[in-house]
Amino acid sequence: MILLGKRPTGWIPTVILASVSTLMVILPIAGLPAGRWLISLYANPCIPLTSLLFSWILKNAFQMNLLNMGAIQTCRVFSILAGAALYPMALGVGAFDPYPAGWHFSWLFVILLSVTLVLLFLKNRFSVVLVVTILAYDLHLLESSNLWDYLVDPVLILVAIAGLIARMVTA
Amino acid sequence: MSKRLIIILSILTLLAYGWPAWTRVSTTPFTKSSFSPRPPFDFPIDHDPFMDQDFIGPGTGTGMVHVGSICEMPNKQLGAVWYGGTREGAKDVAIFFSKKPLGPSTTWSTPRIIVDRASATRELNRYIRKVGNPVLFSGPGKQLRLIYVTITLGGWSGSSLNVKISRDSGHTWTDSRRLTLSPFFNISELVKGRPLSVNMKGGHNGDRDHFAVPIYHECLGHFPEILWISFSRKNQSIIYNKSRMAGGDAFIQPSVAPFNTHSATAFYRCLSPTRHIAMARTDDGGQSWSLPRFLDLPNPDSAVDALPLPGGRILLAFNDSPNHRGILQLAVSSDSGLNWIRIHTLENLPGQEFSYPYMIRGRNGLIHLVYTWERKRIKHVVFSEAWVDQKLEQALEK
Repeated sequence: MILLGKRPTGWIPTVILASVSTLMVILPIAGLPAGRWLISLYANPCIPLTSLLFSWILKNAFQMNLLNMGAIQTCRVFSILAGAALYPMALGVGAFDPYPAGWHFSWLFVILLSVTLVLLFLKNRFSVVLVVTILAYDLHLLESSNLWDYLVDPVLILVAIAGLIARMVTA
Repeated sequence: MSKRLIIILSILTLLAYGWPAWTRVSTTPFTKSSFSPRPPFDFPIDHDPFMDQDFIGPGTGTGMVHVGSICEMPNKQLGAVWYGGTREGAKDVAIFFSKKPLGPSTTWSTPRIIVDRASATRELNRYIRKVGNPVLFSGPGKQLRLIYVTITLGGWSGSSLNVKISRDSGHTWTDSRRLTLSPFFNISELVKGRPLSVNMKGGHNGDRDHFAVPIYHECLGHFPEILWISFSRKNQSIIYNKSRMAGGDAFIQPSVAPFNTHSATAFYRCLSPTRHIAMARTDDGGQSWSLPRFLDLPNPDSAVDALPLPGGRILLAFNDSPNHRGILQLAVSSDSGLNWIRIHTLENLPGQEFSYPYMIRGRNGLIHLVYTWERKRIKHVVFSEAWVDQKLEQALEK
């Protein structure tokens, strides 16, 4: 961002964040970089959560509004709905498991394509996150080869629920 | 967003979704399968009644061993793996490998470690707290494969599955590869049952070996699944998928016995208070399974193993008690698993543990069984189908 001419508005938090990120990548703890300890427990952070985090950093460090509140709210609602459709059944409720639909072209891809196009025509910026999600899947950027893992993860669900509750409390 | 940007993004979206549609259709869809047993069902049998037994590796002293599996390797030797250490789940637990030439008066090689928590941590580039359940299998090609469990946090419900491949019958192994099989932090997937060689319809089949691996989920729910996994013969490429055999909270550790290319019976370890072995049936190559039904055979919450025999018969190894693992029994069914005749008691010592049977049928028709013997050793029993027939006749005469 600095190379692009964007000056950070909060030097100290930005430097701290950049330093911690760098240390997590290079600093070994008991033979493993700190980041790999995180990966040990959480190997597939989904793309919408990464996008929310990236947007938050850009907003706080560079005053760039990548995702507006409408897109963030859409992301929260979409994530909770996706999680509600996935996790109970994937963890054993009933005989149907929706998770395998993410390994090959299936109804999941058709639904996501439709949602992405609808959000695009509604000019909702979360549509861009969904485009990045499928691109990340195509490029196999995560360890997983299942589209569900690119789309949603348990941490995103918690973040989305917390965000919605906070929004309702402050509204 | 401007109209031009929306149009560009729409085209990008269609292309981005169209690409996986094309690539997934052009590879293996895992939606139409048929069993391809090796050796084939009609393999000729000309053995006399024969049974022999030995132990794999020396005793462990104060340590433990558990969950053995055996296979006939591409070099036509027998290979076996199991895990062992000071106690189950301990940090020093490693996966051991031993091999033995086919034929009488041969002995098992000195066991050697092929993966432990240190090597798994290094190969998977993440913290591994312990290793567990290994399954060894080969197929039509020259590859020997190992699927094994690793745990980063917690107990068995924190398990993930990993793959190693050997192209020289166990002398050297590739680095471990993690399989992502669960959306919930990729945990609670375990393996126990014997993998089955399968044919997949559609996609690129010629340069791949396909397997149906019985696995199970053990977290909030406990249920059996099939891991469909396809190994490239030319490179390191692995494609996989999974399907559920049953939902709920009662059945794990499926053992699948196919009796023709499309039909098979699966037998489940039972976690419910019913304490009976359960079975289910498929008639579409393992894609869908009937609801589990209980058999008239007890199950003390312990693994079973079923092996198909020619003529549609099934051989079952199981703990013949509802509440302990001290009796290890063999039984035969001639009606796809509905009714059973007990033919031979392999072990009978209540208070001890003889568990986790795992059977294969070799290319020469002999049946090899390995199981945990008092948690101290892995026992290997080899017998001919004629011996099974003889025992069955004796049981019927009684």
